[in-house]
Amino acid sequence: MSQAFRDSTYLFPVTQALHILAVTVFVGAIVIGDLRLLGWGPVGQSRASIARSAQRILFWAGLAVLVTGIPQFTTNALTYQRSWLFVFKMYLLAAALLFTATVRHRVAVADEGRLASWVPRVVGAVSLALWMCVTISGRLITYYG
Amino acid sequence: MLSIVPTFAWLEGLAWTTALRESPFGYPLIETSHVACIVLFAGLVIMMDLRLVGLAFTNAPLAQIQRRLFPWQMATFVPSTATGILLFCVDPLRYYRNVFFLAKLVLLALAGLNALAFHLKTYRSEGWDEDPQVTATAWLAGAASLLLWSVTIVASRLIPNDWFK
Repeated sequence: MSQAFRDSTYLFPVTQALHILAVTVFVGAIVIGDLRLLGWGPVGQSRASIARSAQRILFWAGLAVLVTGIPQFTTNALTYQRSWLFVFKMYLLAAALLFTATVRHRVAVADEGRLASWVPRVVGAVSLALWMCVTISGRLITYYG
Repeated sequence: MLSIVPTFAWLEGLAWTTALRESPFGYPLIETSHVACIVLFAGLVIMMDLRLVGLAFTNAPLAQIQRRLFPWQMATFVPSTATGILLFCVDPLRYYRNVFFLAKLVLLALAGLNALAFHLKTYRSEGWDEDPQVTATAWLAGAASLLLWSVTIVASRLIPNDWFK
């Protein structure tokens, strides 16, 4: 597979393009939930209802992000491994995934009366910051990797 | 025939566009800001589109989702456009004949018209938001937007490749 990616003129750039499209959908589903947690999104709906609906999008878009991301890595694995930005992005990604699956999920589905009002706001802000940092560091690999 | 090329050449020769083009940080930072804004903007537009075509957030009334997302779509659209124009100004001669760049402009115009038609017509028609069933035109607007923005993003990422010189 890696060889095919290196040999083809089109495969790698098209994969990159589909990767950013998948990232856009994924981040969109994160941001709508984060805005809701911050109290700025669709507040007519409960936090849990928005989170549940977003979860399906996150799953499918996340899968597409992986499927388009992994071949980019394996094609130039040795170059990426030496890129501090790539390594940094992977740590950020791990942190963002962990935070989303644990703290953010718990807060989003918790009974709304049970939490102090600052809790979902802080969680929404942290999630938004983490995911934007993942996106931005990914883009910067092209230039400073 | 009057050509626009001298204008682009003049733009490219300006002190500030030259400085940004030659700086190791100028272009990458504008480009990264552009991508960060677009991801937020298009991400939220796509969430609205998924609601319109009935793939997500179906238990929320359409108008409510639209009203709450619209300010954020606009707030991210403005810096997306500003950074996009800036990117073009920094290197106009590199872009103006690029197939993917030209395709992007056409796609943006189509996406803009689609959004405008939706906002002026469907969105303002009587009682459209109370109906739990999305009207056929609203569904179509959502599907068109989904397609147009997806292709726009793919075309944009392909701009650095000069496949059709």
